[in-house]
Amino acid sequence: MEQHTSYRTYWLAWGLLLALTVVMLVTERFRLSAAMTILILVAAMLVKATVIGGWFMHLRYERMALVLSVVLGTLATGAALFLLLIPDGISMYHLAQ
Amino acid sequence: MTSLINPSVVTEPATHTTQAHGPQTLAGEVHWRGGISPFGISWQKLMMWFFLVSDALLFAGFLAAYGFVRLAAPAWPDQGEVFPMLKIAAMTFVLITSSATMATAVGAAHRNDLRRAMTFTLLTALGGLVFLGFQANEWYTLISEGARLTHNPWGVPAFSGFFFMITGFHGTHVLIGVVLLAVVAFRVKSGRTHSAGVELAGLYWHFVDLVWVFIFTCFYLI
Repeated sequence: MEQHTSYRTYWLAWGLLLALTVVMLVTERFRLSAAMTILILVAAMLVKATVIGGWFMHLRYERMALVLSVVLGTLATGAALFLLLIPDGISMYHLAQ
Repeated sequence: MTSLINPSVVTEPATHTTQAHGPQTLAGEVHWRGGISPFGISWQKLMMWFFLVSDALLFAGFLAAYGFVRLAAPAWPDQGEVFPMLKIAAMTFVLITSSATMATAVGAAHRNDLRRAMTFTLLTALGGLVFLGFQANEWYTLISEGARLTHNPWGVPAFSGFFFMITGFHGTHVLIGVVLLAVVAFRVKSGRTHSAGVELAGLYWHFVDLVWVFIFTCFYLI
């Protein structure tokens, strides 16, 4: 790694992560509607994951080849797992009723 | 971010590749010319990334299975009533802070400030220990309330099963991380490792934090 990320950047990322955590806890406490709550929580979760991956794990400074191999591979497999299992979970629920 | 295309990979006209690369060569094909570092990182770091990807899929599997069972279950306990949210928030705070101290340690190691690197690596390990303390306390509380792998007082048996499996696997990762960080700090002190060692341990530690972000959201909040 050629660049030296300043220490300040790390602590800014830390502040951002904490702020997002507070937003998530508040969202959980005052559930507006199920869909809205899940939307806010998942969005905040993905932003947090991006901050940790990009700033803390230095993916911002790595070659695009590595970033794509690591991020796309994991995201695609993870998303496939969820997208295949979640509809089945809902069908199971309705079958049991 | 640098280019997607490695400079050592070039497209060459098909005319004189037939001889050089055998009869299978197709016109317009992009050839691997033996560039030795396509990702531009050390092999140790590449192996760490491979490991982290596979480990991420382990947790993705857990969380997907949990999502399936939770949706299929007739009812699910209200996590806010089972878990003390303030304690979970404190655990999250500790883990995020330990990630920031780890990043500082890696930054210091890159600047060859090994003394600061060692201090912050040890601080990170301390954060990991505090997290484990919270988790041991949480497990103790839930077990004394009657939660087991196969049943619990709040309804769906799978609820406590998933709780112990997911937080147990994550906690084990934290424990391994604490040991790893202690070893790295010791090796930095005795001059046996430099910035690369700290950076690899750092990648693992940030990953543990990353996994917690998903567990915290999917298991405790949603």
